Amino acid sequence: MTAHLTAAEQRTRPAGVAVSDLTVAFPAGGRELPAVSHVSLDLTPGKITGLVGESGSGKSTLALALMNAVPKPGLVTSGSVHIDGIGNVLSLTGSGLRRVRGPGIGYVFQASQNSLNPLKTVGKQLLDLGRSHGEKNLRGLLRRARELIEDMGLDAVRVLSSYQHELSGGMRQRVGIVFALLLNAQVLVLDEPTTALDMLSQASVLEIIKRVHRDLGLTTLVISHDLGVVGELADRTVVMYAGRVVEEGETQGILRDPRHPYTRGLLAAMPRITGDLELARALPGRPPDLLTIPRAGCVFRERCPLAMPVCADSEPPDTLSGGRRFACFAAAGSAGATSAGHAETEAAS
Amino acid sequence: MRLARRLGIKLAAGLVMIWLVASGTFFLVRLMPGNPVTVAYENDLMHGMNPNQAKAATALLYGFVPRQPLPVQYGRYLWQLAHFNLGRSISYEGVPVSHIVAAAAPWTVIMVLSGILVSFLIGVSAGVLAAIRRSTKFGDLLSVSGSLLHGIPQFVIAILLAYAFTTIWAIFPFGAPYDVTIAPGWNLPFIWSLITHAFLPVVAYALSSYGGWLLTMKSSVISVLGDDFILAAELRGLRPLTVARYIARNAMLPLFTILALSIGFMFGGSIFIEEIYDYPGLGYSLLESIGKRDYPLMTGTFLIITTAVIFANILADLLYGVIDPRVRRI
Repeated sequence: MTAHLTAAEQRTRPAGVAVSDLTVAFPAGGRELPAVSHVSLDLTPGKITGLVGESGSGKSTLALALMNAVPKPGLVTSGSVHIDGIGNVLSLTGSGLRRVRGPGIGYVFQASQNSLNPLKTVGKQLLDLGRSHGEKNLRGLLRRARELIEDMGLDAVRVLSSYQHELSGGMRQRVGIVFALLLNAQVLVLDEPTTALDMLSQASVLEIIKRVHRDLGLTTLVISHDLGVVGELADRTVVMYAGRVVEEGETQGILRDPRHPYTRGLLAAMPRITGDLELARALPGRPPDLLTIPRAGCVFRERCPLAMPVCADSEPPDTLSGGRRFACFAAAGSAGATSAGHAETEAAS
Repeated sequence: MRLARRLGIKLAAGLVMIWLVASGTFFLVRLMPGNPVTVAYENDLMHGMNPNQAKAATALLYGFVPRQPLPVQYGRYLWQLAHFNLGRSISYEGVPVSHIVAAAAPWTVIMVLSGILVSFLIGVSAGVLAAIRRSTKFGDLLSVSGSLLHGIPQFVIAILLAYAFTTIWAIFPFGAPYDVTIAPGWNLPFIWSLITHAFLPVVAYALSSYGGWLLTMKSSVISVLGDDFILAAELRGLRPLTVARYIARNAMLPLFTILALSIGFMFGGSIFIEEIYDYPGLGYSLLESIGKRDYPLMTGTFLIITTAVIFANILADLLYGVIDPRVRRI
């Protein structure tokens, strides 16, 4: 009940999320290999933030860290995730943590994933969710579920009595959003919300995400490998590479004028509806995995067309320029912007 | 309605299977070295019967008349079978096989079912523990206990148990389903006698299939633990008890298939276990009938065991449809 009260209070002002100096490492061969390395990031209240990166860039690990759900044997070795009205999620354990998952942060799984118990109907699982969070008014809960389902353009009666295997990919994804929002979460995290969906379902799911975000006044994080999806949805865009945030800023700005050579590469690799397919150029090389991430210097230098000698020696600091943040020596030099030093100072300011 | 149709189809398939088995046993008897039908017929002739009397006696014994063409014999046999007439026993001096089988079946069925129930409950719980504690010494120990017991043949377990607990450390009575000095009835001493006599055979059944349950459940739980919906349930903040129920119910699914198979395995094992513990069940009759060349009893017992296994399979199949919505078909 308290969760609902705080949620209602927050309705007036969406909750913000502040990730600072987050490092998630996986032990391997006696070493700790960071999948997410010293990431600082703000999710602006009431805005959609898009997180882009290739597979293995650490974006899903980062999303799970927001829920304090880093899969074993991964470990959060530094940093904090502060959510307004909840506090540092990473310091929560046990039932305290459990109560935040659901009512505090809603998590929507990748569309291709099976996020429902195959042996129970959607309705029964929604009731399980309510009961798990001490909801006494199950009738009211079902009414809200029905409203949410209808809101997504689905037949509520049918969906509630369906099993997962009776729903299509697009329907599953919408049902996943219903589960995430049923308990009035103020922060919504969507991991690859449209991957594995056909174009029409993709468009309608994107439309739904936009609408619920606006109607419910959420703070939303959309994770995708697809710049098109992020460009369509996000107010702000964060580009990750090898566990680092390499560029962050307003989506329109990033799409129009990418600073980091990796972001430029991603944009150049996107095929356009107009124009020749030949114009899309794949990034050279392959993204590094945990074992092949360079130990020192810039993690992107081996695939970077602008690499300089300095890139091999030290990791590029964050550069702030007109609401944009990027970590690149070459781009910083050409922009002539001021270096903000370390990520922590940037996040604190 | 849908269920009734499914049940009808399953039963029809079961009947076809029983028919195949009955035909198999019929021709097995006919093709056996020494031809038991002719042997019985000639035996009667040697005892001074005239050919017609011998033919009639053999007909009474086997339910079909020898010296007729094989198809006619086969037809008569099936006709008798359709009327639940399994012929008459040789070793029990013409007692109908159906009577002997009916008297023996409860002992085996009760033993096998309690053995399955006990091993299922213990094996499945141990399997869940072994899966959750798989990186600890305790978990390893459980898994090893499962592999070890799974590897020992049923009759070896039965003999070791009998030797250990009725001979070296005689805390359990040996042989027979109950103490013959106690009058059968609903009284405490008789029931206690039944339980103590049944204990070791049931343990033998249970130990022989415990390992299978443990190992299967362990791998099943581990695979379900890695499923997306379990992580999803945790990220939605579901109560640990609810998550555990999700895991258990999903992990149990593959075990239902094995349950059906294991009933057949257990009935097969009854041949050894009932012989070792001198228990008057179906396995015991089967073995005895082979020893005494009592072919009608042999085919009858075999047919009943097969029928029981087929029906257990049908039941498991139907149950599977109840617990897994994905296999329900319109």
